Amino acid sequence: MSRKETIVTVELDDPAGTFTLREICERGECHAEFVIKLVSHGVISPIEDSPNALDWTFDLPNLARLQRARRLQRDLEINLPGLAMSLDLLDEVRDMRREVDRLNRLLDQFITD
Amino acid sequence: MDFKDYYAVLGVSESATPEEIKKAYRKLARKYHPDVSKEADADTKFKDVGEAYEVLKDPEKRAEYDQLRKYGARGDGSFEPPPGWQSGAGFGGGGYTGADSSNFSDFFEEIFGGGRRAGGFGGGGFGGSRQSMRRRGEDVHARLALFLEEAYHGCEKQVQYTVQEVGDHGRVISRPKNLKVKIPAGMRDGQHIRLKGQGSPGIGGGENGDLLIEVELAPHPQFSVDGRDLLITVPVAPWEAALGASVTVPTVGGKVSLKVPKGSSSGRKLRLKGKGLPGKEPGDQIVVLQVVMPESHSEEAEKLYKQLAEAEEHFDPRSKLDV
Repeated sequence: MSRKETIVTVELDDPAGTFTLREICERGECHAEFVIKLVSHGVISPIEDSPNALDWTFDLPNLARLQRARRLQRDLEINLPGLAMSLDLLDEVRDMRREVDRLNRLLDQFITD
Repeated sequence: MDFKDYYAVLGVSESATPEEIKKAYRKLARKYHPDVSKEADADTKFKDVGEAYEVLKDPEKRAEYDQLRKYGARGDGSFEPPPGWQSGAGFGGGGYTGADSSNFSDFFEEIFGGGRRAGGFGGGGFGGSRQSMRRRGEDVHARLALFLEEAYHGCEKQVQYTVQEVGDHGRVISRPKNLKVKIPAGMRDGQHIRLKGQGSPGIGGGENGDLLIEVELAPHPQFSVDGRDLLITVPVAPWEAALGASVTVPTVGGKVSLKVPKGSSSGRKLRLKGKGLPGKEPGDQIVVLQVVMPESHSEEAEKLYKQLAEAEEHFDPRSKLDV
């Protein structure tokens, strides 16, 4: 483990942190065709929809979602419709787990012995 | 070096057919995939399962492994290959696992070494060109748990993660990295942070990848979080709820005084504007009132409650229950 520590200032995913189609392909290690298919299946969405894919830009959560889709496709051999459904269900499970945690904590505060 | 029992990792017998091995791998890969599993050591288990499958799916590697397995581990579980051992199978890469052997164990490297080449960085590119030697480094994903107070005020956190880089002789190696990161105030649960150039180094002068961090807020004993809003349950005495009162309530930014309206019931929500997580549009703090009773009453108080019951005899708190 390197002992050298650097202080890095964080860049937030504000509107300035966007990626073009070329950049998202490079970062996702995939072809533009794959990104276009993900958009058509609603897995990821450009910030502003345009009929010309070359005009698309994506934000950081969409880049993270594309990279997650690539990992799942590579590791679990999932086809595109399956991928779209898996990602939606995984997001739903995550949101529901958070909601259950939140409600359980709220319930604990109301229930007294 | 510890001996790795790949059959045990996949939960199959030594006589398992290739189909049984594939089925076991697929099931475990789904279970432990780091993007799916919530288990703390899912990443390690997923790598172990991938490594076991990489060996057992290949008849040549499996035969060599079976031979070594008979040679066996030492009594303490450690292992040394037989003198002069050289694998004929080697690491070919590719296959179903898309195996990147840089994540495999020392045991694998010792037995089937010769892998971990820079070619392990597969993938396409915008135009489908994969021949270029100049290549951007991989983005690395990490999760960062923050206490609510840290997210509210901002903080400095240590982040530890692993990057892949090309070492001597073109071998891909994993290198741990350790950064101190200044986290700005007002981070939300699930928010992404990008640290430019802090991912895996580029190849052939290519740009470094980024470190992409997803923030997770740890549960707080008093507050729960809903986006930028913070919720807290505040107990009030029956007379405070009935008559109205000014009560002191905590916010993450410090104590504030809150006016409880006259005639409040349990569950009533009161909004403290702008007292949630900070940001361009700061969230609110939602106070949920909870009417609580003292553990015991004095004789005087019981007398007053009886008087109250007589004065309010027409009030039926169970009117909606149809009883």
